[in-house]
Amino acid sequence: MFKKILVPVSGTEADIETIKLACRLAKKDKGQVWAVSVVTIKRALPLDAEIDSEIKKAEEILDKADAVAGEEDYEIETDVLQAREVGPAIVDEAVERGVSLILMGVAYKQRFGQFSLGNVVPYVLKNSPCPVILYQQ
Amino acid sequence: MKVLIMGCGRVGARLASLLDEDGHQVTVLDNDTYSFRRLPPSFSGTALYGNGTDEEALKKAGIEDVDIFVALTQGDNRNVMSCQIAKHVFKVPRVVCRIYDPLREEMYNALGLETLSPTKIFAQMLREKIEGEG
Amino acid sequence: MYIIVVGGGRVGYYLLKALLKEGHEVLVIEKDARVCKTITDELGSVCTRGDGCEAATLADVGTGRADMLVAVTGDDEDNLVACQVAKHKHNVPRTIARIRNPQNAPLFKKLGVDVTVNTTDIIIEVIEHEVPTHPVTELFTLDEQGLIIVDVKITEESATAGKMVKDLSLPKESKLALIIPHEGAAHVPAAQTTLQVGDQIIAVTPSQYKEELEKALSGV
Repeated sequence: MFKKILVPVSGTEADIETIKLACRLAKKDKGQVWAVSVVTIKRALPLDAEIDSEIKKAEEILDKADAVAGEEDYEIETDVLQAREVGPAIVDEAVERGVSLILMGVAYKQRFGQFSLGNVVPYVLKNSPCPVILYQQ
Repeated sequence: MKVLIMGCGRVGARLASLLDEDGHQVTVLDNDTYSFRRLPPSFSGTALYGNGTDEEALKKAGIEDVDIFVALTQGDNRNVMSCQIAKHVFKVPRVVCRIYDPLREEMYNALGLETLSPTKIFAQMLREKIEGEG
Repeated sequence: MYIIVVGGGRVGYYLLKALLKEGHEVLVIEKDARVCKTITDELGSVCTRGDGCEAATLADVGTGRADMLVAVTGDDEDNLVACQVAKHKHNVPRTIARIRNPQNAPLFKKLGVDVTVNTTDIIIEVIEHEVPTHPVTELFTLDEQGLIIVDVKITEESATAGKMVKDLSLPKESKLALIIPHEGAAHVPAAQTTLQVGDQIIAVTPSQYKEELEKALSGV
């Protein structure tokens, strides 16, 4: 059913379960899984600036995702994206790759003492070209 | 001294009446005539309707021969603009500008305006008061 | 180029679209969260919410590496301050301000704004062009050189109709650049060129000689 799955990872606890879940969903149809990590670039720098520390961090997150997929005995692809904002970067990537599902992990967060979904998840839900599954840890 | 005050809010009106009591020749400019209700009945200066960022209105208010110009509207940018007109176009000998935003205040101070940031001054005063009594 | 636009109103919005289309990196700074959201929803991450007159906001959006800042809010004083902060705090090489009050143009120049654009003047120029009250219309101003490019029409009342270019007494440093006849192709005037009724002459002149040039070309 889901031949192409995009999994944005951000280094939270939820990453592990979402990658596992993506692998299991993809397995049935021998679908592809892309794990992507977004590096946000501040306006003070041009968009193509290379911030080694941030890129390294993103690569480490992706390595972990890759390892989790290995445990599931499934091969996934990984990619570092560079953008000004996370939400639009995920949606653009989904459009470009023509994915059939976005699977996102959400960590339970509080902001100003109240539950908060942040701004990435709502943006993706609103603008996604395909179905979205949220996994809350 | 001839004084032109732009903005007849609480501070503007109070300053106008204090300077008036001291015998100075005061003109207050505001773009809302309702603001002039704040001036006491004893005020003997001039209250004038007009926009202080407009050269014509400033001329009408007699900016060409005042000794000091004070900008006290609610808008930092309006104060900054009218003060620069007063200083650079009409060469008013002394120009005082209220700027709430401390960052903007520092910049225009560095550019040569005589500036006051009530935000900075009041926070500082409160700190001294609190720590002094601690 | 990296261009920062202060003010996401109608002018800012269409300016943003046009500049993006030309391939520039553009960012709009807008105070109103709703306006900001409308722009972001339509055009992506090209709008940030904040006060474009605040040095901190401008620092956040990387004004230090901007090639240009254009302030197009509806208030002259806000546009002035945005340009001044950009210039003095962030060393932006070029600042452009939209102004409402035409009288503010010289003031803004004096205070360090590189270019001012004034809709009132533009509309007046268009009206003068459409309904000429003078035979001379100002087309363009070259501020730094103190020159203006004007468009002069030779009418039936012009005493210069039928005269040759060499016989005109043009003011100092004024040059005729082009003649666009009523019919036929435009040509560069030579000394022997005769002026005809219906000719449109494009000329360059120091701004203080505008009226002399008008006299020399209309002969009245």
